[in-house]
Amino acid sequence: MPLPSFDFLPLLWWGLPFVAAPLVIHLINLLRYRKVRFAALEFLLASQRKYRTRVLLKQLLLLLLRTAAVLGIVLALAQPRWQTSLGAFLGAGRTVHVVLLDDSFSMGDAAPDGQGGDGGCFDRGRKVVERIAGELAGGSGVQELAFGRYSALATGTAGSGFDLGRQPLTPQVMQQLRETLADLSPSFGDQTPLEPLRQAAELLAGGGESSRVLWLVSDFRAKDWKRADDSASVLRQLADTGVELRLVDCTATGGPADQAANLTIERLELAGGVPATGVLVPIEVAVRNDGETPRRDVLVELREDGAARPGLRIEEIPAGGTATRRFEARFTKAGGHVVEARIPTDTVVADNRRTATIDVVDRVEVLLVDGDPQGSGTAGDAFYVAAALAPGAGAPTGLRPRIEPPRALTTLDLSAFDCVWVLDVERLDQPEIAALEAYARSGGGVVFFTGPRTQAEIVNRTLHRDGEGLFPVPLAGPVDLLPDANATDPVPDLVAEEHPAVAVLSGQRNPLLGAVRIERTMAVDRGFDAASAAGLRRLLSLRNGAAVMVEQPFGDGLVVAVLTTAAPVWNNWARGNPSWVVVLLELESHLARIRRRAAALEVGDPVAVRLEQGVDEIEVDFSLPPDGTLVRQTAAAAPGGDLEARLPAAVAPGSYAARWRRLDGTEQERLFAVNVDPGEGRLERVGRESLDRTLAGVSFRYDRAESLQPQVGSLAGVSMVRPLLHLLLAVLVAEQLLALRASYHATRAAAPGTTGRR
Amino acid sequence: MPASRRYLHPDAIARIARLELRARAVVEGVLAGLHRSPYKGQSVEFLQHREYVRGDDLRRVDWKVWGRQDRLYVKEFEEETNLRLTLLVDCSASMDYARPAAAGPPALGKYDYAATLAASLAWLALSHGDAVGCTLFDDHVRASVPARTKRSHLSSVVEVLETPRAGRTTAFLPVLRSLAETLPRRGMVAIVSDLLGDREGVFQGLQFLRKRGHDLLVLHVMDDDELEFPFQGPTRFEGLELPDHINCNPRALREGYLAALGEFLADVRTRAAAARSDYALIRTGEPLDGALVKLLSRRAALAH
Repeated sequence: MPLPSFDFLPLLWWGLPFVAAPLVIHLINLLRYRKVRFAALEFLLASQRKYRTRVLLKQLLLLLLRTAAVLGIVLALAQPRWQTSLGAFLGAGRTVHVVLLDDSFSMGDAAPDGQGGDGGCFDRGRKVVERIAGELAGGSGVQELAFGRYSALATGTAGSGFDLGRQPLTPQVMQQLRETLADLSPSFGDQTPLEPLRQAAELLAGGGESSRVLWLVSDFRAKDWKRADDSASVLRQLADTGVELRLVDCTATGGPADQAANLTIERLELAGGVPATGVLVPIEVAVRNDGETPRRDVLVELREDGAARPGLRIEEIPAGGTATRRFEARFTKAGGHVVEARIPTDTVVADNRRTATIDVVDRVEVLLVDGDPQGSGTAGDAFYVAAALAPGAGAPTGLRPRIEPPRALTTLDLSAFDCVWVLDVERLDQPEIAALEAYARSGGGVVFFTGPRTQAEIVNRTLHRDGEGLFPVPLAGPVDLLPDANATDPVPDLVAEEHPAVAVLSGQRNPLLGAVRIERTMAVDRGFDAASAAGLRRLLSLRNGAAVMVEQPFGDGLVVAVLTTAAPVWNNWARGNPSWVVVLLELESHLARIRRRAAALEVGDPVAVRLEQGVDEIEVDFSLPPDGTLVRQTAAAAPGGDLEARLPAAVAPGSYAARWRRLDGTEQERLFAVNVDPGEGRLERVGRESLDRTLAGVSFRYDRAESLQPQVGSLAGVSMVRPLLHLLLAVLVAEQLLALRASYHATRAAAPGTTGRR
Repeated sequence: MPASRRYLHPDAIARIARLELRARAVVEGVLAGLHRSPYKGQSVEFLQHREYVRGDDLRRVDWKVWGRQDRLYVKEFEEETNLRLTLLVDCSASMDYARPAAAGPPALGKYDYAATLAASLAWLALSHGDAVGCTLFDDHVRASVPARTKRSHLSSVVEVLETPRAGRTTAFLPVLRSLAETLPRRGMVAIVSDLLGDREGVFQGLQFLRKRGHDLLVLHVMDDDELEFPFQGPTRFEGLELPDHINCNPRALREGYLAALGEFLADVRTRAAAARSDYALIRTGEPLDGALVKLLSRRAALAH
């Protein structure tokens, strides 16, 4: 008959001495009899002669029952399991182990184990899985194993994402597992445990197994577990259905205090400017320091289209802070360009590199809708705006203004324009307004300039529409700005507010702004409550506090209203004042940034290109990082009716290229930058206490990888805890009954013997 | 506290006195003539006439009635005698058992209870002009005072009861035999004892006394603890007279103890009846006056 195994064997060894407690108490009682001098001893002697055997037997039985009760409690604490052949035959002896290995890129933490262990976090995780499987293979009974990784399970459908499906652990399967583990490396994903847990729960649901064990081998980072209510809920359900939960923490212990320090490139993107050929564009890179000490002299390597360019040196990144640096790039060729930033290798490699793609065109078209029906030539609003946006060959801005009448709003494809400027238009028809609103809703930027032709009533009725329309504020009509009475120290007519588009004008007594004279503006309706307008911001104000330039989001886009003329009719701003050019270019960049912002793709996201039916061929070659592996995908109908070719999920970070041909034979290419989630680089561990709080009410066992004792053999077989508890209850009831029958229970009446000492 | 007050238990005696006033006839009858006196007293009071039957003493025939009616009647008299009450009080070691004061409401120990009972009886007898003697014994007579009728004799009785006890075993037979031989006149002998120890000797001794014509009263004093055996917890019982001891859980042996005790009490009652002695079991937990009233009431009932 096989001996039982114990889940908590040390408790058994600690508890066994207590089994002798009833005997010891009995012996102690023998030594501390109360003494009573008694007259009627002869009757007591007679009783003893008569009942000696019975009393002795009762005492012995009581002692045995009490000893059995203590033994039962100790055994129940040690949680025995009995592997019986009958149980195995009936399926009750089968044990199912589902092992989930966290392979999110934080597991790539290469911090060595301070206790002399080698390898990083993921390496320890692999070894833990191998140890578990190894013990399972050497265990008794039928052992079934399923193994899966977060990255595969997070995207896979139920049961399909497991590297090893649930199957009896044979030597062949063991070998297969070893080979699988050997090929594994941390993914670049930021998968949370939720989806893998759900799939594991489905795998473990039902069945007649006597034991079900879920192993979670992870680094238990705070970002995943501090407020993981959904994951905790799944674990709670599993625990409630009798699944044993084993959490194994693979992070390093005992290393340097700052071993969790990790630098992450948090951001790399265009910081304004016009991405056109020959134009300098600012690019921002932000590096975050998750360590507890500042990092100094961090060198950021930069690459443009694969070629190295001068890097940046960040003098200091404060502990827990982010340092942002800006550099400028000039692209000479139109098309997609890849910019890459790298920082020196640290504990987590995946977030030390970040890629951005920039689509560069020869010229960026800007639509200027001129409200002057005759066109005023060099005196009109459109002229001054166009002159500011495209001053000339000496100062290339990359912008190509196109001046059109209002009806062009319905005849042109507005999506081709970087920005739309509506200049002192008397009236827009409903289709024109609808086209403009659609453009703004989809992320476009619209600027309104008012002027003599602007009719407040028409603007309010057609464009503002009580806040429903494009125009941010209702208008009252033109008003004059009275001259400043203080002739000796005049106050500038314009005041720049806190806004990035006019940041160039801010500062004490900006001489450029001081030269601007405003004579007339379109007043905002006095009844308008600016606080009630969502997202309304003021860019420029008059010295009397009235608004001159305001901004409000509309859909995904932005709308700016300038309540004076662009041409020097109501003001002199455009006449020879350099700030006019700067503000308009900043405004253009500000409004167009939403459209220029490349889709931020992260590892795990799909990479897709839209194709035009009848224009493009449907075969698209995707070039994958890091080695440019080609994957051909055929476009299929997308929900919007267009064709779409897509990669289901980006596996690695880097630049992806989609190349296809048009039916006319021309080559097309689009670049995508796929990066890791910078949040995954935060290596703060959740800690046992916080984990206990998150998993409050969930019964689980937590081990560190280096001190893990899988004891998987002990998990096999039938858990004896429940029958043992029933038996214990029976023993306790029998003990009480026997004690009652043996009259060993104290009665309420005063017992003279208790004070009968002489 | 003076010895007389200690044993007379003023409260109890006062209550007994009140009871006695309420039922003076009964009490006087009990102490003065509750027993068939073996000898004629100094005063004889006519009770009734009864028709002569064969065997009647011819000296009692009322010849005047025979002369007038030519029928034989005998005269019956209510005989009244001066009682000679001899108190035999057991002072052996077994009478030492007493529940300690800390165990609950204060209770007299067995010996104290027996001595109080004896003193109370002595007081009552003396108050009615009867003679009272007292003997204290264990395996020998430890102290003794002959019967006297003077009221001041009570202090002599109490003095005997106060005699230091030697803590010896009980030997009833030699004591009772010597007493039977030495008591000058027939009278009432009241034995106040727990009857533990020499059981055979008790009843053989009683037979001696009975043969000498004494009226016997056995007052069997037992402690409540002995009758109910309410002990709990591991206890070592050491014999007060027996040299043995027992280590046991008392509640495990209680059933057998009570059975053996029941047999003992039944045997004592049976053999007391066989010796034509009046037997009363008195528990120390019982109020003393209650015990006396019960005893006197029973004696009164027997007298009728």
